[in-house]
Amino acid sequence: MARKLAHLSDEALVALVARADEDALAELYDRFGRAAYGLALRIVRDPALAEDAVQEGFLAVWRSSARFVAGRAKASTWILTLIHRRAVDLVRREEPRRAEPLEAAPQAAGTDTEDEAWLRLRRARVQEALRKLPDKQREALELAYFGGFTQSELADRLGEPLGTIKSRMFAGLATLRELLAEDGLEKEQWKEPRSTT
Amino acid sequence: MERAEIHDLSAAYALDALDADERRAFEQHLAHCPECRSAVASFQDAAAELAYDTEAPPPPPALRARILADAARERPNVVPLRRRRWALPVAATLAAAAAVAAIGLGIWAVDLSRQLDDERAASQSSQAAAQLLADPSARHIPLEGADGVLVVDAAGKGWLVVRGLEEAPSERTYEAWVVEGDRTTAAGLFAGGGAPTVVALDEPVPAGALVAVTVEQEGGVEQSTQEPVFVTGEPA
Repeated sequence: MARKLAHLSDEALVALVARADEDALAELYDRFGRAAYGLALRIVRDPALAEDAVQEGFLAVWRSSARFVAGRAKASTWILTLIHRRAVDLVRREEPRRAEPLEAAPQAAGTDTEDEAWLRLRRARVQEALRKLPDKQREALELAYFGGFTQSELADRLGEPLGTIKSRMFAGLATLRELLAEDGLEKEQWKEPRSTT
Repeated sequence: MERAEIHDLSAAYALDALDADERRAFEQHLAHCPECRSAVASFQDAAAELAYDTEAPPPPPALRARILADAARERPNVVPLRRRRWALPVAATLAAAAAVAAIGLGIWAVDLSRQLDDERAASQSSQAAAQLLADPSARHIPLEGADGVLVVDAAGKGWLVVRGLEEAPSERTYEAWVVEGDRTTAAGLFAGGGAPTVVALDEPVPAGALVAVTVEQEGGVEQSTQEPVFVTGEPA
């Protein structure tokens, strides 16, 4: 199906969503729905709950898009942050929470689209960055982000002082940020090309 | 919570690793602390990248329909406008403004058969690219100036995978170039756009070559005098 808003930036789409444009919401879903669902599923480990998290997250996008300020944050970050928050809130309400974070999910049947190619690329990139982190920092990041554990729960679980956990998350995320900045993706959007003639 | 400690919570906040009370306290702090706001913003960018470290089947199609139906039911508290392209807040870039103008002028309309050909070609190209991305011997070379990579397979066949490009302005096109020493060869045209795009390069990418992309007049040119919009960050 042709995506008639495919030419717009993520930020322009959010601006349209703020004007109650349903096509723009659909296009945002087509861009981020799959990543959102994968993220939610890795956190809540239950397909029905994951759908709930994605649905609530996108409705939060719909409701709060007027508060999104382009230039202060990337739309993709904003959307995935909303999804993540919903998924974490859901898994924290589910008791007893399953103790072990889900390991790598089964290989998805390949639907060979450009989006699929893009997701694969992003995944390879973040995995490469994660591999470069010290084990304990990586562990803290993964348990917090995908396990939905609070910093205090992490301290209990790992038998470490809270301060140690905080520093690991801080150092780990700071290093991850640098590694991701180094490798060229996520650069600023292009500037208007200047003609040399 | 102690005042001195609260600054350290920006990473935990970006990872959603605070409990409800801590989160509330930190958000109050954020309202007054520009330093923490900027730390949180950059930490959230990094955390959001973690979101891609998942491999799940696509969500069921019914989910999309449900979200859109719910959204339609609870329209947000704004005046619903018919989409008016010229009213877009495209502070973004000049190119976006040019694209909007193009739509206004109706240049947008594309001959249907050409569009179908394009879609067929795009689908073939993306299938090949998806295979290529799974190929461990293919090299990924980051782009400078755009969000994406150049993928080169062992035989030197190259693919640009790029996302979030502004649509090329009206009567203009993106043109890819393979630059080898002082030899620059045209390697294909494409339209750009916010959604991920896979561009199969018409020319091989030999070791040591760079790939650059310029904006040219419709139909492309044999030799460019434009500055590249983006280039590969290192030689192939």
